Amino acid sequence: MTSDPGNAYTGGVSGRARIAMTPLRIVSLYAAVGAAWILFSDRALELFVRDPIRRSALASGKGIGYVVVTAVLLLLLIRSQHAERRDRDREVRTVLDSMPDAVLVVDRSGTIIDLNRAALALFAARDRRELLVPVAELAARVHLRRADGRRLDPARAASRRILGGEALAGLEALMRRLDGREIFISISSSPVQPRPGELPRMAVAVVRDISEVRRFEEMREDFLATAAHEFKTPLAVVKAYAQLMHKRGQGDQAALDVISRQIDRLTRMVHQLLEVARFRVSGAELSRERFDLLALVSEVVDRLRQQSDGRTIIVVLPDTPANVLGDRERIGQVIGSLLENALRFSPQGGDIEAALARHEGEAILSIRDHGLGIPPERQARIFERFYRAHAGTPQDYGGLGIGLGMSREVVTRHGGRMWFESSPGEGSTFFFSLPLAEERG
Amino acid sequence: MSGAVLVVEDDLDLASLIQMILADDGYEVALASDGQQALAQVAQRMPGVILLDMRMPVMNGWEFAREYHARYGSAAAPIVVVTAAENARARAEEIGADGWLEKPFEIDDVVRMVARFVSPADAGAAAP
Repeated sequence: MTSDPGNAYTGGVSGRARIAMTPLRIVSLYAAVGAAWILFSDRALELFVRDPIRRSALASGKGIGYVVVTAVLLLLLIRSQHAERRDRDREVRTVLDSMPDAVLVVDRSGTIIDLNRAALALFAARDRRELLVPVAELAARVHLRRADGRRLDPARAASRRILGGEALAGLEALMRRLDGREIFISISSSPVQPRPGELPRMAVAVVRDISEVRRFEEMREDFLATAAHEFKTPLAVVKAYAQLMHKRGQGDQAALDVISRQIDRLTRMVHQLLEVARFRVSGAELSRERFDLLALVSEVVDRLRQQSDGRTIIVVLPDTPANVLGDRERIGQVIGSLLENALRFSPQGGDIEAALARHEGEAILSIRDHGLGIPPERQARIFERFYRAHAGTPQDYGGLGIGLGMSREVVTRHGGRMWFESSPGEGSTFFFSLPLAEERG
Repeated sequence: MSGAVLVVEDDLDLASLIQMILADDGYEVALASDGQQALAQVAQRMPGVILLDMRMPVMNGWEFAREYHARYGSAAAPIVVVTAAENARARAEEIGADGWLEKPFEIDDVVRMVARFVSPADAGAAAP
C-alpha cells in the first residue's frame, strides 16, 4: 500500500504510473470517461444506425448498460469501503486487545460500554457481559477501596470530574477480582473529547495491576526501617565512647565534641528515614478527629517561636474557628515542617508570615518567607521525596529533603491540596488547603 | 562477684561500654548476652536493676520479661528497657518496665536512670 491508508483504490491501481488516486481524481476520471462514452456512443449511434426505432432501442439499451456498469462500480466501491473499515476496526481491536493494561470505556451515564481482553483478565471475568455494567455496580462487586482500606466512591469522585473534562492519573486502590484474589491497582482515566469545546460523552479508563510493584516497595520500605533501626546501636556505641573519653579527660576534648555532635546529626537523619519508611508501610493510619485548625496553627507557631532566633513569625488568623476533620498531630507536623523550612531557608533574617483564610468550603493556610526562594529549574520536582532544591548549591543547608513530599501526602490524604509560589532572592510562599468540617456531608 | 546492675545486651561493644560508664561511677556491673543468660544470673543473685535490650538471639527481651516476672513476681528488681525503637515508652509499657533509655543515649542519662534504683555503695543489695 502507499502512504495513504485511507484510500481504497491505491491497492487496486495496477497501472505503472503510481499516481495517488484521491477521491476527487477518481470522480473526475469517472466523469471524464462517462462523458466521453456518452458523446462517443451517441455520435456513433447517429452515424451508424439509420433506423430511428433501432436507434432509440439501442440508446435505451446503452443507457441501461451504463447504469449497470455504474451500479457495479458503486457496489465494488461500497464493498471495499466496508472491508477497509472492518479491517481498521479489527486493527484497533487488536491493538486494544494487545495492550497489557485493562481499558474500559465509560459513557455519560457512568456505564461501561466497552472493554478489552486485558480487562477481562484483570477482573477475572469469564464473559464481557459481566463487566458491561454501571461503574458503581462493578466497583461494589469488586470491593473497590483505597489502599488504607477506606471506601472509594468512583461514581462520585472520578466519573463526574472526568465527564466534566478533568483527567485522573494514577489513583491507587485495592480490589477483589471476581475469582476472589485481592490485587492493588492503579487507575488513570481521561475524557474522550470528540470536539474541543464540547462536553465529553465518554471517558476511557486504564487500569493496571500494580500488586507486584507494591510488594517490592513494601519490601524496600521494610528494609529501610530495619536498616535504620540497626544503625542506632553502632551510633550509640560511638557516641557513648566519645562522651566517656570526654568525661575521663582522655583525648582531644574538642575533637570528641565534634564526634558527639556529628553522631547527633546522623541520629536525626536516621530518625527521619524511619519516619518515611513507617509512613508508607503502615499505610498512613491517619486518625480522624474534629479540631480547630486556627488553634493548631497558633500552637505550632508558639512552639517554633522559641527556636526562631528572634525571627518574627507574624500570624494572620480569622476571628472564627476553622474546624476540620483529620489527624491533628500529622497536620501539626505539616505546619511545623513548612515553618521550619521557611526559617531554614531565610538565613538573612526576614519575617515569616503565617495566614489562615477560609475560601469556598476550604481552609487555606499560607506560610511566606522572604528568604532564598526556589530556583525555577528546580521547582517542578519540589515535592519529590528526598528532593532538595538547594542541594549542591552554596545555599545547601543540609537535611534529607523529606518534609515536603510527606507533607503533601498527608494533606492530599485529607482531601486537600498543597502548592507554592516562589521567586529566587525574594522568598517563597507555601499553601495548603483542607476541607472545612462543616461542609462535609 | 555481686552485681548491682545487670546489663542484658547482645552487642558486646555496647555491653562493655555501659559497664565502663557505670563502673566509672562506682557501680558493680554484670553482663548477660541474652535472656537465658540473664535468667541464670538472676537466679544466682537478684540485681538492683536490670538494663534490658529487647532484640537478642536465643531469648529476647519480651520472653525474658515474661519468664522473669512469672518467676519472681514482687521480688523482681526493676527493669529499664534499652532500645533503638522509635517508641521506647511503648516498649517499656509492653513488658511492665520501670524506665526506658533510647539508643543512642547520653551517658549521663544512663547513670541518672540507674541511680533512680540503686546507689553505688549498695553493691549486692536489692533496691527497696
